[in-house]
Amino acid sequence: MYRINKRALSVLVLVAIAILGMLFYIGRFLIFGGEWATSRLNPTVQSRGMITDRNGVVLAGVTDGRRTFAEDANVRRATLHAVGDREGNIGTGALRVYAPNMAGYNFLTGLYSRAGTGNTVALSIDSNLNVEAMRALDGRKGTVIVSNYQTGEVLCMVSSPTFDPIHPPHIDTLDDEEGVFLNRAIQAAYTPGSIFKIVTAAAAIETFEDVFWRTFVCTGAIHLGEDTVTCPSVHGEIDIVRGMRVSCNIVFCELALDLGADILSDYTARYDLSGRTRVGGIQTMIGNFDKAEPYTADLAWSGIGQYDNLVNPATMLRFVSAIANDGNAVELQLRKKSTLFSFLSNRSSRLMSAELARDLGDLIEIQNSDNFPGLQIHAKTGTAQVGGDRLPHAWYVGYITNPGHPLAFVVIVENSGTGSSIAAPIANRVLQAAIR
Amino acid sequence: MFDWIRELFNNTSDTAAGFDGDILSYVTLVIRFILPVLAIIIVVRCIRSLLSEKGEGEIWGQLHLLNGNIIDLNYWENTLGRSGASDAFLEYPTISKNHAALNRDDKGDWYIYDVASKAGVLVNGTKVEGKDGFLVKSGDKIDLGGLIMTFVAADMTDEYEQAISRTPPGQIFKQALTLVYITLFQILLCFQLNIASQEASTTILVFCFLILIILMWICYFATRAMNRVAFEIESIGFFLTTIGLSIVASGSPNEITRQIMFIVFGLILFYGIGWVLRDLNRTKMIRRPVVLIGPLLLAITLIFGQETLGAIRWISIAGMQFQPGEFVKIAIIFAGAVTLERMFVRRNLIGFVAIMAICMGLLAGMTDFGTAMIFFVTFLVIAFLRSGDVATVILSVAGAGFAGLVALASRPHIAQRFATWGNAWETAFNGGRQQASAMSAAASGGLFGVGAGEGWLKGGRGFPRVFAADSDIVFAMLSEELGLIVALTAIVAILVLAIYSVQAAKFARSTFYVIAACAAATVLVFQMMLNVLGSMDILPFTGVTFPFISKGGTSLISCWGMLAFFKAIDTRAAASFAVKIPKRPEFSGGGAIIYRRYDDDNTRVDPVLENKGIGNRE
Repeated sequence: MYRINKRALSVLVLVAIAILGMLFYIGRFLIFGGEWATSRLNPTVQSRGMITDRNGVVLAGVTDGRRTFAEDANVRRATLHAVGDREGNIGTGALRVYAPNMAGYNFLTGLYSRAGTGNTVALSIDSNLNVEAMRALDGRKGTVIVSNYQTGEVLCMVSSPTFDPIHPPHIDTLDDEEGVFLNRAIQAAYTPGSIFKIVTAAAAIETFEDVFWRTFVCTGAIHLGEDTVTCPSVHGEIDIVRGMRVSCNIVFCELALDLGADILSDYTARYDLSGRTRVGGIQTMIGNFDKAEPYTADLAWSGIGQYDNLVNPATMLRFVSAIANDGNAVELQLRKKSTLFSFLSNRSSRLMSAELARDLGDLIEIQNSDNFPGLQIHAKTGTAQVGGDRLPHAWYVGYITNPGHPLAFVVIVENSGTGSSIAAPIANRVLQAAIR
Repeated sequence: MFDWIRELFNNTSDTAAGFDGDILSYVTLVIRFILPVLAIIIVVRCIRSLLSEKGEGEIWGQLHLLNGNIIDLNYWENTLGRSGASDAFLEYPTISKNHAALNRDDKGDWYIYDVASKAGVLVNGTKVEGKDGFLVKSGDKIDLGGLIMTFVAADMTDEYEQAISRTPPGQIFKQALTLVYITLFQILLCFQLNIASQEASTTILVFCFLILIILMWICYFATRAMNRVAFEIESIGFFLTTIGLSIVASGSPNEITRQIMFIVFGLILFYGIGWVLRDLNRTKMIRRPVVLIGPLLLAITLIFGQETLGAIRWISIAGMQFQPGEFVKIAIIFAGAVTLERMFVRRNLIGFVAIMAICMGLLAGMTDFGTAMIFFVTFLVIAFLRSGDVATVILSVAGAGFAGLVALASRPHIAQRFATWGNAWETAFNGGRQQASAMSAAASGGLFGVGAGEGWLKGGRGFPRVFAADSDIVFAMLSEELGLIVALTAIVAILVLAIYSVQAAKFARSTFYVIAACAAATVLVFQMMLNVLGSMDILPFTGVTFPFISKGGTSLISCWGMLAFFKAIDTRAAASFAVKIPKRPEFSGGGAIIYRRYDDDNTRVDPVLENKGIGNRE
């Protein structure tokens, strides 16, 4: 009997394994419970909680246990990617990202609420601004994203093409190329083109003390071995200030050749442009910067954002926000900042020195432009060549310093034409609406 | 008849619109928090009552050595030998490590067995041979390799005195109070279900809960009527059964009356097996037929069974579905448990291994992977208990691992379950949907649950039902409706049975009971583990039931049957109905045993050999 009593202890091994398994489960329950409970598999979550814009306009509500959207079809289409759809195909939509908040989940009481309704999440976006941006895009593919560079709140975020969430497209009839479920502001990365000249300038200003006194000669082309790097115009003798204003390729190609791939790569990474950032807690698409060989055309191209470079629009927005905000980048937010806790500042990090931010701001300041009435604007165009016979991507990125309107913006229109002819007017239209 | 509960609240709505829903929601809100508290109280009371009381050993006989040393025989089955692990430790060079076994049967007759001795065993000069054992009487001289001792058996007076001098359980934790808590738990749960019910009438629901409460109290008073006081094991059974009834009432309200019927059958099996185990001879007698029924049941299932989801588990008789595999678990426990003298017979495992091999083969034919896993782990535990041989166990694991690989490769539905293991969320819209839904529902409940009958996993209210919500993934439904706390108390309740079986093994009378209880504990704990961790994507999903809680009649009945094995190791004074109490002797001839008594200064009073009681027993 004594023997068997000792052997009986082996049952305790099983008990110990069971307890370990349960502890592991409890740990996972505490960490992932909110995610699990509010997953789309839970049919009750679909009918909980409301989403409004910053002015209280209902963007997603519940009627008779079914998810409903804004009353105005234009608002529905313009806020689709920020809000999300019923089916959950838009992965970065607030309906999915803020499902735990809307459902009212906490690990103590789970999803239970006495009234069973859930919470309201107020987004930082302004639905009117979104509608204006969507109108300005006019059916062309692309994205417009506007944020407050002091608080990090995103005021406008549209992605085109879009659809009306109460009449979703049938999955089978979708063209994969369209990427209609993609929020281009967060989930895409594009060739930057000339907007990358800001990064090259930043590297040059901090690397070469004499950069503002240097002069370059633009003959419309530089020959590097068998390759040629071209500039659309012949600018003659030119410095960095004018070079930025007229977007001379030769100035920045020369600077890139002098800086070398390592420094350029370092600065790209320093501003997270080759990495990723977060928008309201959602990770953006990762960017890219390939280091080219020294003294090659590839290196020269990379200085004007035309080599194998890719940047995400939201990451770019954060970069120009930092220039506007004395070098501090505030994390981009998708939820309206509570007035009650406004003294709590959002998490910010210093991307560059205040001095560099001022220099870069001066470089991209638009002076005496009739195209932006009433706007004190600092911005850079980009016309990103994408190869083949496709039209280039049109970029316009920058910020305004109008009192009471600390706004940064990024506009990109795919395969449409030049930044100045296509993207800049869109930015103007949206910003005019924003300061009205 | 019981719809007045709902009516009560509905009527108030006529007087003040909206008022009813409000009051009701506050009442159910409060009950949601009371239920976990009650569950904790119930389980903690059972744990403390079972585990906190120190067991008192029994003395059934003594060996008086010539040098005056007295060795107590604390069990009905004792090993004699030079090994330190012997029950009667005899450190003499002529004695073998495992020399002999000295066993008592139900009638009080003692038999000695020569287990593996070199020098042999003599009783009053007669050599002991064969495996049937040699009858020894009180006062007989036993000669083990030249070491001579006098055997003294406890007589009826001794046994009676011993029985009345021991402390019965339930002194600190009144069993009736635990039952009052369980009754309260049942009433509140019934109330919650009543409010949540979508059915036209809830009379049957209330009626079924009432029957369960009455059944529980009948069992309690019957136990008291048998002069037994322990009711912890039954309390755990009724607590878990109550949760199971709530799951059925919520998930399949039409089947609740059937569930009550299964509970009655379960109780009949529980008391039936308990009655069998009361008598070791009776137990040994029915062992063989029960063991043979096991493979037979599986074979019948394999031939006549219905295939569902790739596994053949069910047979259908008169419109009712049965899962014979559940009963085979009990057969296996009987097959695995043996009395001490057989444990030392060489190759004693062969018969058992053969039975297990047949069962495993049949289960492979049925592709019932979950049950096969449970059988295999139970086999490992029994094999280790009987042989103490780690090598055997390791070899078995290796063999089974190989067999498992072959099974995986050949059965697509098993392979697929392994493929989704750990990836439930990545495959949430394909293979992992059931588990991902289960995890989602389990998390929805938080610690306190959304309320009995209010979950979405079971379907209803316009939501689709997730497959096997109230059986294979019942842990999710339980967590969702009653919350993680109640779910954990249910798990702890099962684990307590295992811990208790290890602790009580110290004072059990026969190895048969110890092996049986440990095997039953293994089945219950492992099955619970597969259900919980499988549905939560921590182990591969095998689709087995949670003991007592999953819907499924055969499973519930067999769980109650297995509970009887825990009653058979409970040797606390006047505790278990499955353990006999010695009767008051008619002729008091004084005790044969000289108990080692201690005087007031706690110094031992030396025993005087005074054999007075021989011949009293008829």
